[in-house]
Amino acid sequence: MSSRLRAIWPPILIAVIFLGIWQVFVVAKDIKPYLLPAPSLIFSNFFGSLNLMLATSIYTATTALLGLLFGTVIGLLLALLAQRFIVVNHLFTPLAAGLAAVPIVALTPILNNMFDISSRTPRVLVTMIIVFFPIFVNVTRGLVQVQPVQLELMRSMNAQPRTVLRLLRIPNAIPFFFTAMKIAAPLAVIAALVSEYFGGPQLGLGSRIASSAANTAYGRAWAYVVSSIIVGLLFYLAVLAAERWAAPWTGRARSA
Amino acid sequence: MRQIARSRWAALTGVAVVGALTLAACGSSTSSSESTSAAAAASSAAPASSAAASAAASSAAPASSAAGSAAASAAACTTPTPVKLQLQWFAQAQFAGYYAAKDKGFYKDACLDVTILEGGVDIVPQTVLAQGGADFAIAWVPKALASREQGAGITNVAQVFQKSGTLQVSWADSNIKTPADFKGKKIGNWGFGNEFEVFAAVTKAGLDPAADVSLVQQQFDMKGLLSKQIDAAEAMTYNEYAQLLETKNPATGKLYQPSDFNTISYEDQGVGMLQDAIWANQEKLASDTAYQDLTQKFVQASLQGWIYCRDNAQECADIVTKNGSKLGASHQLWMMNEINKLIWPSPLGVGVMDPAKWTQTVTISMNTKNLEGSTVITKEPDPEAFTDKYAVAANTALTAQGLNTTGDAFAPIEVTLNEGGN
Repeated sequence: MSSRLRAIWPPILIAVIFLGIWQVFVVAKDIKPYLLPAPSLIFSNFFGSLNLMLATSIYTATTALLGLLFGTVIGLLLALLAQRFIVVNHLFTPLAAGLAAVPIVALTPILNNMFDISSRTPRVLVTMIIVFFPIFVNVTRGLVQVQPVQLELMRSMNAQPRTVLRLLRIPNAIPFFFTAMKIAAPLAVIAALVSEYFGGPQLGLGSRIASSAANTAYGRAWAYVVSSIIVGLLFYLAVLAAERWAAPWTGRARSA
Repeated sequence: MRQIARSRWAALTGVAVVGALTLAACGSSTSSSESTSAAAAASSAAPASSAAASAAASSAAPASSAAGSAAASAAACTTPTPVKLQLQWFAQAQFAGYYAAKDKGFYKDACLDVTILEGGVDIVPQTVLAQGGADFAIAWVPKALASREQGAGITNVAQVFQKSGTLQVSWADSNIKTPADFKGKKIGNWGFGNEFEVFAAVTKAGLDPAADVSLVQQQFDMKGLLSKQIDAAEAMTYNEYAQLLETKNPATGKLYQPSDFNTISYEDQGVGMLQDAIWANQEKLASDTAYQDLTQKFVQASLQGWIYCRDNAQECADIVTKNGSKLGASHQLWMMNEINKLIWPSPLGVGVMDPAKWTQTVTISMNTKNLEGSTVITKEPDPEAFTDKYAVAANTALTAQGLNTTGDAFAPIEVTLNEGGN
């Protein structure tokens, strides 16, 4: 318990010191809010409209969660195919890399025009595309990169590919999967948020940040930024918790 | 191999990544109303004047007696005063008056060396002005008032556009003729602070913006309306509306006609908010006599540019194109003509604030709530928010030169749009 505390306090201390310096700087130099809002202004905006922050965060978090879910499922399915059929692997890896390289700024307007802009659909699709790639690449690697010794042992016992998959490949891929999820989960929040910049319902964090910033209400804009940080962090912590629950042997503290 | 080290520091990194990307996205908020199809193509690399912006003006003429001084100071001009003007967007006919004043030598005659800084998605003109990055800036009144409330010291010295150019455009067959017809429809708006006229109209029609209409942020093009994903789209008379009329109707093979659409003008609905105005540095305006003189000369020469463009629409469209605008020729001329309609007639004189319109803009800014319940400003702006002094003096001087400064006889030209605005 004390070691856990020891692990938590440095980042908190740094954050507090950072905010303190920021606050003193803004007050001492009399910097106007249209240039840089003080942390006190941001937090008064945040706590002053907590219900709005919550509703807005839930909207964007829902988009992110749906995208993360679909993206993960597709990534896993394709990874399973890729480990079994080398041709799928060769076909999809470059395609997936290409798709992941298409910037959100180009992708979102196209999807907005193709699907119903007044719905959540285009944003979920953007998030899905962004999420799918790290899952696919990492899990494929985890499934393929098994210890040759173990593979030879399985083969010597005439194990079917399905058995090899179940007993060897999938357990081997689980740490890879969680590593990918730790990248994908905060990424999903960012993708969901950024995709709101290009039109559609104006209920999410991205729309509200843009709208507040356009009205020079930077205190409010940053309060929404604080909300997005919290959402991103919650997604990340959820993956950590899931990892601990599903695969307690991975990443177990090697803390000295 | 499996040993993926995990520490609490990773959590901190996660925060940093989310925060950084959010900020990066945040910085790119764009003023959609000025967006054009050429936006992507146009370069934002406006030449930066190396000369100090606030160099003392050489002429000694005080602001109050500036009437008719343009010719006199031209004679006395040895080294022109460098001036930087920050626009809201890329070069286009929306800013033709300033380009004409530069091109036709009105600035030079006033002993000014004006550098026009193009805007872009990341540029907030009123912030650039307040921070000293420019001597003057062009900005919409509500946005500038919002920045003022957050501490930006700026003053409106010439209200160039007398009317709001915002429309809500729908298909003629959807029978949306007044804001009351928005009920139950998907109503597009730009967001990014450009949505308040829409909200004011919806509220004025007795509808609840949160419950009675489905508000959708539209993209910067008009595809949402063309594909009928949204029922009515926000459009500027001088830009997005023209984009519609430059699009081929697949059913007829010809361009869409105005009769294909219904347009609701927010100006006509009594909820128009003042748009393009010249803003100056409030602090320097209060104390710095050289800057006061500079402001007088700049306002007068700029307004002369707008008078020139009223009478020479085609030439002004060409001047803007020559200055790097990527818009097609017919789109540019259409924009010039529509901008003229927003300026002329100016019954009180060009650039002079209409107090009724100011009050209307301030009232809507204070009382109209958007979806998240926020207003543009929370309290009445202080008296320094605008001054008539410079525009009135400029009108006197320009009238003395024999120019018509009210445009009472103004008649718009007829512009034929071609496909894609070419």
